[in-house]
Amino acid sequence: MRRITELAVILSLVLGVSVLLVLAASILLPGIEVRQLAFFYLYTTINPWFQNYTVNSPEAVTAIVWDYRGLDTLFETSVFYLALIAGLALARGLFSETPQGSFNEKTHGLTTIVKTVTRVTAPMIIAVGASIGLHGHLTPGGGFQGGATIAVIPLVFIVVYSTLFLIARGVTSNKMLVLRSIGLLGIGFTSIAAFLIGLAIGRFAYVFQNMPKPGAVVGLPADINGALISGTLWFFNLFEMIAVAAGFTIAFIILLLAGRGGSGGR
Amino acid sequence: MLEALTYILIIAILGLNALVSIYGIIYGRSLVKKLISLTILSDTVLVAVIFAGFYYAYPIVPPVYQDLAGTGREFLVKHASDPLPQALVLTGIVIGLAVNALIAFGIIQAYRLAKTTDARKVVETLSGVEVTE
Repeated sequence: MRRITELAVILSLVLGVSVLLVLAASILLPGIEVRQLAFFYLYTTINPWFQNYTVNSPEAVTAIVWDYRGLDTLFETSVFYLALIAGLALARGLFSETPQGSFNEKTHGLTTIVKTVTRVTAPMIIAVGASIGLHGHLTPGGGFQGGATIAVIPLVFIVVYSTLFLIARGVTSNKMLVLRSIGLLGIGFTSIAAFLIGLAIGRFAYVFQNMPKPGAVVGLPADINGALISGTLWFFNLFEMIAVAAGFTIAFIILLLAGRGGSGGR
Repeated sequence: MLEALTYILIIAILGLNALVSIYGIIYGRSLVKKLISLTILSDTVLVAVIFAGFYYAYPIVPPVYQDLAGTGREFLVKHASDPLPQALVLTGIVIGLAVNALIAFGIIQAYRLAKTTDARKVVETLSGVEVTE
């Protein structure tokens, strides 16, 4: 009976995917009407002749992520935050097993060669991550990608040194949660920055407004002294980078503490 | 003709990927294997979305202007890939990561309580009810 059920399930899966394939092959070929939407974004992302629509960012993807569809990204960041909070709640029993004692260079971690190489490469990785994150409005990349790159550092340090090393340096999950909350608060304040400026000077402005729009002339500057920041995009990328790096660090700390069971994360 | 064939080939590969991952989600015994299959399925869907924004115009370029004056606007508008699916996929990756991290925490907790990641044994241990085939 079980065999027949399995066979039926697999057969129906195969048939279902085949039907999907046939449908997809006729739908997924992008037609010219789909292209119109891309025309709009590509045409207006940096365009001095369309001041009412432009974001002043040469990178169309970041412009969509943080300006055209900024609200999506705000809630996406909130989902990530809530998932981490839920993870911390699930793993609350673990913190009684946090390893005690102080870090000892001789007994903890891998060999001197690995430690030295890690020490040399760590600042480079942080520099690359910051470059990816803070140039998100100019080149491919952005806050999430930069933050994910920076979060490699705590992971490597946990493996090469030990959890004790991170705790001795003050990188605990509670502090990272504070940093993550600061990042999320920064994103929230950036999203209402134009609105607050409008309140202060008595002009109308939208929430999540970036560049000046018709009827709402308040906007953030596209550049500071000739250095392009694309209004809110640079600040969004900065705070998202902080938030994501801290969030990943929390996840790594929890997962690696848990992976050692009760033996103490050495 | 060749373009259509390429499309169908890529879609077929994506479908195969989806099939394997759905099979893994249903028949994998270990919760960890189910999670791995789920990540494969979500990545397959994301690749399909990126693929929907792919525009067959040679040479295809990324949707990024090379300078701030926006030179080559007509060329870029004609030849760049669609930036909207890329932005949506970025959102999808972050949310998928959050969900996967949450599931991983749940699996770890189940392992700590039941000392196994076998789905049936976890249910048997935690609920006390014997799972029949």
